[in-house]
Amino acid sequence: MAQFRLQGSKVLAVDMAGDSVKARNGTMVAYNGQMNFKKMSGGGDGLRGMVTRRLTGEQMEVMEVKGQGTCFFADKATEVNLVRLNGETLFVESDNLLCTEATLRTGTSFTGLNGMASGNGLFTTKVEGHGWAALTSKGPAIILRVSQGMPLRVDPGAYVAHTGNLNRSLKSGAGWTTLIGEGGGEAMQVEFTGEGLVYVQPSEKLTFGGDV
Amino acid sequence: MPFTKINNKMVEAKIMPGQRVFSQRGSMLAYTGEVSFTPNNMGGQGGVMSMIGRRVANEDTPLMTVEGQGSVMFGHGGHNVQVIDLTGDTLYVEADRLLAFDGTLQQSTMFMGQQGGVMGIVRGQVTGQGLFTTKLDGHGSVAVMAHGGVFELPIGPGQPVHVDPQAYVAHRGQVTNKLSTALGWRDMVGRGSGEAFQLELSGHGVVYVQASEEKL
Repeated sequence: MAQFRLQGSKVLAVDMAGDSVKARNGTMVAYNGQMNFKKMSGGGDGLRGMVTRRLTGEQMEVMEVKGQGTCFFADKATEVNLVRLNGETLFVESDNLLCTEATLRTGTSFTGLNGMASGNGLFTTKVEGHGWAALTSKGPAIILRVSQGMPLRVDPGAYVAHTGNLNRSLKSGAGWTTLIGEGGGEAMQVEFTGEGLVYVQPSEKLTFGGDV
Repeated sequence: MPFTKINNKMVEAKIMPGQRVFSQRGSMLAYTGEVSFTPNNMGGQGGVMSMIGRRVANEDTPLMTVEGQGSVMFGHGGHNVQVIDLTGDTLYVEADRLLAFDGTLQQSTMFMGQQGGVMGIVRGQVTGQGLFTTKLDGHGSVAVMAHGGVFELPIGPGQPVHVDPQAYVAHRGQVTNKLSTALGWRDMVGRGSGEAFQLELSGHGVVYVQASEEKL
């Protein structure tokens, strides 16, 4: 079992003993011991799920890291958040997925317009199974609980990921734009209803929906 | 030990009469007391060649000499700052990551080709940092900049550490570096050309790695 731990708040350390993890290309900053890096091609295990924002499908951004020792991953000095999955499904913007245990399945979920709003085309990455995943966020992410009768609205650019049984719908913030002059960008919000957790970052990436 | 971290991005240096501190020019944020700042066209102590950065146009990282009595705050570009205290050992650091250092330290330049032969030269090209690295010897403090802060990895006999050249900040000790390509690494084109290589550091010492693949 690969052990995931944080080295400070911006670096993920993974201790491996012959097992493997999947990580975004180019995020390895250092390792000791013996490591092999393998480009992951599309196809099996729903790795097409790592659809990048460009939706070209040719930019497979995932590598398999296998070995003995400790491998350190980081992405542009963003904060790393550890998520432990026990059979539930994690939906995450592919930009925010740093690394997953090999035991987890990754795939794509079609999100339609919601994805458009969050700048990620029509797809969101889906991670399922039992094991660790590491997410990145610009600034420390907060986790907000959504429950029955307590929906949550999130700026699409601040949305990172969510778990649980949640429905997403795109809302236009009525009267919002006229009140708050963020130069557009606040016109669209994502509303979550149901039961689950939403990870929100204290930063807004530029999104397609943000221009609406 | 005159450098104190104020927060992640600023250090304070206590300046005493008769003690000099060198800093990257323009990195002074504020100061109290009677302190003078002198541009240092000779690039520190070792003449022009001692400070060679990666700016191709005018290949030096300009320094200034800070003298007097008081305290000076240094910081640059919002980068995280790490204070490294040297106790008679040697630190190798890319010139443009050097924020400030004690005047007590001996500064010189190391031609990267000295370590690892031809590959050492390639390393300079890969990291885009030129072929020269600044070397600091002696007893004193150094303030080094990094994107997202640094963490330390020990290098021991039989325990080499591999570092993404773009995440490499500095190293200290008796360390040799060479470029290596890991299995399957070459066909993984990551972000930027530097991904084809890794820096392998072996010997005895510490390497400082930043939480990012961004250059400063």
